[in-house]
Amino acid sequence: MIPSPGTFLHRRLTTLLALIAVLAFVSGAGFTAPALIPAAALLLLGLVWNPPDRLRRRLELFWRALALLLALRAGYQALFVPTDLVLPMVDLLLLLVVAETFRAQDAAGEARLYALTFALLIAAAAYRPGALFGASFVAYLAVLTVTLMVGQLNRQARLRQLPQPRLPARFLAQSAALSAVALAVSVVVFLAFPRVSWGARAAPVSRTVTGFADRVSLLGHGSRIYPNPELVLRVEFPSGAAPPASERYWRGRSYDRFDGWTWSRTAARAHRMIETRQWPAERTEQLVYQATLRDANVLFGLSPLLDVRPRSRILPYREPNGDFTYGGSAEPVYTAVSVRGQPGAEALRSAAAAAAAGREEARGLAATAGVPAALRSYLRLPPLEPRVYALADSLAAAHANSYDRTIAVRDWLRDNLAYTLDLPATVAEASLDHFLFERRAGHCEYFSTAMAVLLRAVGIPARNVNGFLGGEWNEFGDFLAVTQNQAHSWVEVWFPSYGWVRFDPTPASVGALAAAAATPWWSSPGFLFADLEHRWSKWVLDYGLEDQGQLLRQLSEPFRPAEGAADAPAAVSWWRVVIAAMVLLLLAAALRSRASRTSDRPPSGAASRAYLRLRRAYARAGFPRQGPALTFLRQLELAQAPGMDAAGRAVRLYAQVRFGGKQLDVAGKRRLREDVLGVERLLRASRSRAPEVPR
Amino acid sequence: MSGNTWRQRLAGLRQRLRPQRRLRLQRSGIVVILGVFSLGLATLNTGNNLLYLLVGALLGLITLSGWVSERALTGIHIARRSPFGVTAGQPVRIEYRVSNRKRRLPTAGLELRDAELRRGEVRVRPEIVEPAFLSLVPAGEHALAAEVITVPRRGLYRFERLQLATTYPFGMFTKERDVRVPGTMVVWPRTDRPVPRVRAAAGRRASHQPAAARFVPGVERGEYRGLRSYRPGDDPRDIHWRSTARRGEPIVREYDRDPGDSIWIVLDLAAPDEASGEVAVELAASLAADASGRGERFGFAAGGVSLPPPAGGGSHLDAVLDLLARVELGPGHALHLPARPGECLLVTAGSAGGEDFAAVVRPGTGAAARADKP
Repeated sequence: MIPSPGTFLHRRLTTLLALIAVLAFVSGAGFTAPALIPAAALLLLGLVWNPPDRLRRRLELFWRALALLLALRAGYQALFVPTDLVLPMVDLLLLLVVAETFRAQDAAGEARLYALTFALLIAAAAYRPGALFGASFVAYLAVLTVTLMVGQLNRQARLRQLPQPRLPARFLAQSAALSAVALAVSVVVFLAFPRVSWGARAAPVSRTVTGFADRVSLLGHGSRIYPNPELVLRVEFPSGAAPPASERYWRGRSYDRFDGWTWSRTAARAHRMIETRQWPAERTEQLVYQATLRDANVLFGLSPLLDVRPRSRILPYREPNGDFTYGGSAEPVYTAVSVRGQPGAEALRSAAAAAAAGREEARGLAATAGVPAALRSYLRLPPLEPRVYALADSLAAAHANSYDRTIAVRDWLRDNLAYTLDLPATVAEASLDHFLFERRAGHCEYFSTAMAVLLRAVGIPARNVNGFLGGEWNEFGDFLAVTQNQAHSWVEVWFPSYGWVRFDPTPASVGALAAAAATPWWSSPGFLFADLEHRWSKWVLDYGLEDQGQLLRQLSEPFRPAEGAADAPAAVSWWRVVIAAMVLLLLAAALRSRASRTSDRPPSGAASRAYLRLRRAYARAGFPRQGPALTFLRQLELAQAPGMDAAGRAVRLYAQVRFGGKQLDVAGKRRLREDVLGVERLLRASRSRAPEVPR
Repeated sequence: MSGNTWRQRLAGLRQRLRPQRRLRLQRSGIVVILGVFSLGLATLNTGNNLLYLLVGALLGLITLSGWVSERALTGIHIARRSPFGVTAGQPVRIEYRVSNRKRRLPTAGLELRDAELRRGEVRVRPEIVEPAFLSLVPAGEHALAAEVITVPRRGLYRFERLQLATTYPFGMFTKERDVRVPGTMVVWPRTDRPVPRVRAAAGRRASHQPAAARFVPGVERGEYRGLRSYRPGDDPRDIHWRSTARRGEPIVREYDRDPGDSIWIVLDLAAPDEASGEVAVELAASLAADASGRGERFGFAAGGVSLPPPAGGGSHLDAVLDLLARVELGPGHALHLPARPGECLLVTAGSAGGEDFAAVVRPGTGAAARADKP
């Protein structure tokens, strides 16, 4: 059977619809479902190829067998494997979409295909997709509108055994344009529907994080660290400019315990993170939109981070070690408050020297003398090779205070070791002493670990800190975009009177910051996309009750009386003019539409009214009333209708007025009226003489 | 006040109270609405913002469906081509010309059906054999469609209510709207009742003559009178081809006939009841059609209205059937004879009749109720 052009058009449209739904799913879950690529390939094939019926029947068996297998797999995973159930279901869904696309389409099959593609969109929504979903959604709605319209016309034609209608390209374009109505309603519902939810919100599926992780481990080996441009933080600075690149340390987690391979946190003890009285007084606020990180409910802010105020439904918690974590499953949006800048070198040196003097007085005590008990855990070390201690001592020996010793260690690491993203080849090569003495190259976690260990070895409390360094400033969106590529580790060293102060021993970070500062915004290929992603997250994914309130306030702003408006003279504001103009335009459009609807009405005027009354009278009496005026008169003559003389006069006068431009004076109107009344009397009389109509 | 009047008033009231737009939910519409509710519940439960967007999309499609279907039913001009020669009980094809006067939007999937006709004061629902359907009428263009209906009874019908319906654009709902496209339709009575073959009293023409012989010009049709323009119903064999070619329009020969060679079919309008009266009308129509089919001249009279002079041919039969479609029966009608009873064939459902008539045909008494008089 050769399909008609209309049928093939509809098939192509449904295939395109399925492809867009697949794209929407990819925008959220990526290519995680194994069936995605084969399904997309088959759908692309379906755009240009229509299988013959015989092959279609054979394929049907194949689809059914495969669907059974995938259904069994999904059932097995649901019952026995504690994993994401969505992906096996999506595999099954994709198979059904492809199978339905290649089937001979009937009304039920078409409906199934629409439903399946929509289900793919719903599945995509579960994965917190990016801005690509928005583009896919708009495209889906446009293609769906066209597909539904074409499908409905085809079905109607099939039902009536008519040929499939030939649909011009203009019709298809118009249909696609009409989807703007559905899109507008969708946006209004989205913006206006109150964000109140029943019960528990489903937790969003976590992202795969290759940059930041809530652990620092040196066990990685046999590969290299691949870049990951995934956006993690979008930061706005509502109260001022962004800090310089050298100060963009986004602090996350700190670790006190090192076992030789891995950093972890022991039971936290209460102590203040920093002594804020001694630090610079200037504060900086950051509005942070943070992506959900897998296994890490950490909040980030510029180091040192003082406070966090939530803006989404999260519950921030400041841990005793100064880290901020949160509870709740919403996407974290919060305001972070940080100190701007760091204590100066001289101040730290003085504080360190004073502490060293105190220790001199307490000569004979342990190396930890002078260190508060709460900080003792920051001095513990695992068993290390003697050469590590030897190195620490050699670096510290020339300096009398902890600040200078810290700087010495940091500079040695920066100057003598190299930065690389290549991981050690074996586990044995992944150890700290192998990094310090043999390999002499590693990534940031090696540098921060080495510095913390070397400082602890000489009695200086130090801890490893995880977070991000840098960020790309977006001129259009006025925000800083921080990606997984910028995940970083550094060290915090404790100084009396100041608390924890940041030091970064990684040589690459210096160069990276300098490069970032020098990089023009337009050189970044993902710049515009990052802006789009930011807006998408801010206005779509993270849109909540608070944003609705803000939007409502903005919309009602023009209608609110200005302060002191009661005393001020009435001023015509621009928005009132705009609203008045819009109302007038709508009225004009409505009147015009009404006029066009009533354009079929006969012209008004006494002659026209009399003529129509005459026609109605004859019609009631059962005489024909088709055709223009003179034809109507001729029909009356043929039917020997009563009152022909008066009717003839009236009709001829009407024709002269209506088409001949004759003016109807008062006497003419009277004559016309008398003629029509005379005809009506005659017709009534003739009807009353006629016998009753049997019913 | 009679029961019929009350019924008519109630029908009129119902008509006035009938909503201007009617919406019927289709199966796909039910599925979409259930989908909106289900997805809405899931959305409220999860708070997933994108699901709000998808629920909004479904609601948007429903809104779009309502708007587009409304536009499909408005901004159009409908003209009906009234049919001619409609016979009661026979399917009739009514053509519609639909002009889309909108500037941009097409009218698509439009179904037209004459939902109600009116015969006098009586509202009649015709049997719709096949509604008219238009797949697509682009903006500013027009299209033709035809519906097939059956009207069970003869009469002069007014087209009362034309129902426009569409399931466009998505097939979720059927939206209906009533419009008035004024027009009338004359429905002739049936002509297929078996009737006796009746000749005039003079009976100079033998009815057993072969048909070909009866149509020999100058023999069966009187003397040749002249030429005239063709009229619908004229025998094509009378066309004068040479004159037709010269004038560029069909010209036929005209013949004189012997007035004594014709018979008058007289219908008695005084019927005791409607059913027998209608049968009498159909018998009269069948007699006329039979006579016309045999090429005989006949006159017709009913209730004081006669169609002079007796004639033959298709146009004469049309005039007779047209009159029969309009006649009103009742007990009070007097019988008027246009000629001597011996030249009249009386068709009556009442008690009129007598030996003087050439024949009397009554309903229910068999086709050959009265044999031809010699």
